[in-house]
Amino acid sequence: MRILANPMLRYWLLIAPALLAMAVFYFYPISHVLWMSVTLPEPGVSNFESLAASRSVQRMLWTTLRIAVLSTMISLILAYFVAYVISTVDERRRRLLFMGVVISLWISVLVRAFAWFALLRNDGLINQALIGMGLIDRPLPLMWNEFAVLVGMVHYMLPLAILPLYSGMQSIDPRLVAAARGLGASRMTAFWKIWFPLTLPGVFAASILVFIYSLGFYVTPALLGGGKKMMVAEYIKVQILEVVNWGLGSALATLLLIFVLVTLAIVSRVVDLRKVFGAG
Amino acid sequence: MSDTLRQEPTIVTKSLAWAVICYLVLPITVVVSVSLTDRPYLSLPSEGVSLQYYEKLFTSSEWLSSIWQSFVIATVSTAICGVLGTLAAIGCWRIGSGLANVVRMAMLIPLMLPSMIYALGAYQVWAGFGWVNTYTGIIIAHAMTGMPYVVITVSTSLAGLDPKLEQAARNLGATMGQSLRHVIIPNIRPGVISGLVFAFIHSWDELVIALFIAGRNVFTLPRRMWDGINEHLDPTMAAVATVLIFLTVILLAAEFFLRGKKR
Amino acid sequence: MEQQSFAQDYAEIMREQSARGISRRAILRSALAMGVAPLALGAGRVFAETRPEVVLVNWGGLSVEVFQKAFADPFNAAGGNLVIDGSGPLNGKILTMVQSNAVTWDICDAGVTTIADLGPKGALEQIDYEIVDKSKVVDGFAYDLGVVNYFFSSVMAWDTSKIEGQPSPADFFDIEKIPGRRMIRKDSQAMLELALLADGVAPADLYPLDVERALAKFESIREHLLFWSSGAESQSLLRDGECVMGFLWSTRANMLKEETEGRIDYTFEKGLLQPGIWVVPKGNPAGKEAFHAIASMQSAAEQIILLEQMGNGPANPAGSDLVPEALKAVNPSDPANTAVQAKVSAEWYFENHTAVYQEFLDRIAS
Repeated sequence: MRILANPMLRYWLLIAPALLAMAVFYFYPISHVLWMSVTLPEPGVSNFESLAASRSVQRMLWTTLRIAVLSTMISLILAYFVAYVISTVDERRRRLLFMGVVISLWISVLVRAFAWFALLRNDGLINQALIGMGLIDRPLPLMWNEFAVLVGMVHYMLPLAILPLYSGMQSIDPRLVAAARGLGASRMTAFWKIWFPLTLPGVFAASILVFIYSLGFYVTPALLGGGKKMMVAEYIKVQILEVVNWGLGSALATLLLIFVLVTLAIVSRVVDLRKVFGAG
Repeated sequence: MSDTLRQEPTIVTKSLAWAVICYLVLPITVVVSVSLTDRPYLSLPSEGVSLQYYEKLFTSSEWLSSIWQSFVIATVSTAICGVLGTLAAIGCWRIGSGLANVVRMAMLIPLMLPSMIYALGAYQVWAGFGWVNTYTGIIIAHAMTGMPYVVITVSTSLAGLDPKLEQAARNLGATMGQSLRHVIIPNIRPGVISGLVFAFIHSWDELVIALFIAGRNVFTLPRRMWDGINEHLDPTMAAVATVLIFLTVILLAAEFFLRGKKR
Repeated sequence: MEQQSFAQDYAEIMREQSARGISRRAILRSALAMGVAPLALGAGRVFAETRPEVVLVNWGGLSVEVFQKAFADPFNAAGGNLVIDGSGPLNGKILTMVQSNAVTWDICDAGVTTIADLGPKGALEQIDYEIVDKSKVVDGFAYDLGVVNYFFSSVMAWDTSKIEGQPSPADFFDIEKIPGRRMIRKDSQAMLELALLADGVAPADLYPLDVERALAKFESIREHLLFWSSGAESQSLLRDGECVMGFLWSTRANMLKEETEGRIDYTFEKGLLQPGIWVVPKGNPAGKEAFHAIASMQSAAEQIILLEQMGNGPANPAGSDLVPEALKAVNPSDPANTAVQAKVSAEWYFENHTAVYQEFLDRIAS
């Protein structure tokens, strides 16, 4: 009882159940993956050596990186426009735009993938419409390629980019831009010299968030890529469940984990990570 | 006032922004219209709308059982991470020291790491526990990965609350339980509700973990949708998707309303 | 007095018995109404309580219903307790169960590659041929770690609405002649063979496979390939017109031909005949009962139901005599069809599959 009288200790008791649960049911399974990567099929770093030696693994990692960077860039540019407009329009329009963003953020990723199936396939709605209008006579290859993967991924990432950008822009004092204009700066100058630099922390936060999510994304690339654009998450799943090469699969998972954590560690020196993830 | 000071975006910028929003909500409109089709394949209604695929959905024992299972799993896992996450966030807030910040950060990790890594580890560990293809297995995994949503929203609410308020209650003789119940929780209720809603949607929508752990006894809705998309695309899928969208919108509206009222 | 009482007693016993008889009938009726009649039938009920549940895992979809009707219902009527689970016995899942001593599956619907991948890892039980009858298996298909349950083929199918006449397997690799996407399985098994057969290799010279030559064939049309992972997916891709031709299982090709009323057609020519194999994960919960279930499913009559419903060829040689004339054309193991196909070499797969599959994924399907 005397120990409990120490107030700080009591607060740790509030934390304890969650911490314990996370340790046993989250961090232990994660550490099990790390363990597998250095013990299967035999102890040592042989799995990492074969990762380094395999050209196809490198090609797959390169595909993953390329798609992640591309979808980050596209999402960021489009999101910037949206966030900018949301932060400048009147209250009623702002609410409407915001609603569109928030709802699409929370709509099931499978529902969206299904919608892209309905739209993009050979006999999908887009091809049906184009053929019906007589614009084309054979269906365009919209599905099962990098284009489809990007369409699906950017769609998923956009709300994740818009929200941190918007929260950054909201906190900018609008009088700064007005003052610059008043002092004779052109529209473009005011934007690039005053507004844009002030939004950079938001841009940075959004890029990191989208990039990290794109790297390990499974559902959309697996469905819309049709097995042709295999990204790392799908590759891991195939290694574990189908090829039954657990060593290689867990080594790749370890690599992904280290890459994400190192990226975040570097980023955390520049921005507050809680803000990055809190905004989403 | 401040609106007038802002630079009005050009018409090009504005149209682009609206076009992006249209792209964002496009899947919703597509899914809803396809679900009403009167034809036997994925298409827009041609001669009139039909509710036949809703009838099919609500008479299919498979879909209904998956919906029910997902509902139970989401409810229980949300309850678990709701309680654990809220208490932990309050503890961290009250301690406020460096170590507590580290703990709070650690609780956000499930949101940062790709779920494939966790799914793979949990699958191996759960197999040892005999939790594969059980409610327990999926519920625990969803509770852990839902934790960050609760911790974030509750912490955000707490940030606006003065720790002295709680201190005052304690000084007036309130036990910790009393101060939690009467002082802290009522003040952060909006944050807790948001966290619960997000954690619920997270579980309701989770596929990657389910791909490993689901089986004959537990076959969640996302798992069944995954099979549906891969193996049998028919407008019933669109009806399922519409029901899901509807439910998400209701939950978000409830969250918005409950949070807004408190403000 | 005494006699009377005996008579009374006797009458009482008679009344009791007939009353019990009625109530038993009533119970039976309600049991029937609940659809559990076989379990309620006398001795069966006693056995059902003592005989363990056998979980058979297959790949879902229609096959769950068909396996239920063909295999589980007769076995359960005879007092067994066989349930069908359609969640898909992926090799990685079987191995995870075995290694964590948490096996919940008894019989898995598998192939030669399962034995190839999991056999060396010690994850499979030896088939108990004291219980399973070797004489009810076509010669050469009773392996140590698995026993054939049905035959299927990997064949070429095409969309007749997009291709005129019957294409030859060589046309599969000729994009100039027939433009459009091709569909193959995301697995090296059978795909390599079909590529080599199309390239002119004689069925007798197929093994050992010239892996390099086969992969080069696919690389030449890599841009035009689409991959399927599950049988239902292959059906859906051809049905929806996502590709003009594809390599897929004869069972699925047959279903497609029926449901599209001939729009999708297929040929056994230059196809590959493969066995569907039952394997039993090491330490399966039902123990020997799994082999009793396998033995029960060796019934030729039951296997014919699979042929009728899905197009799987019977594994029991007695089955070929029972095949109705009308079904002979779709039976992968019918003599007329086996004559134009190659047969898979399980031994080659036991030796080579793991490495070749990985190479296939790396070069073709990623």
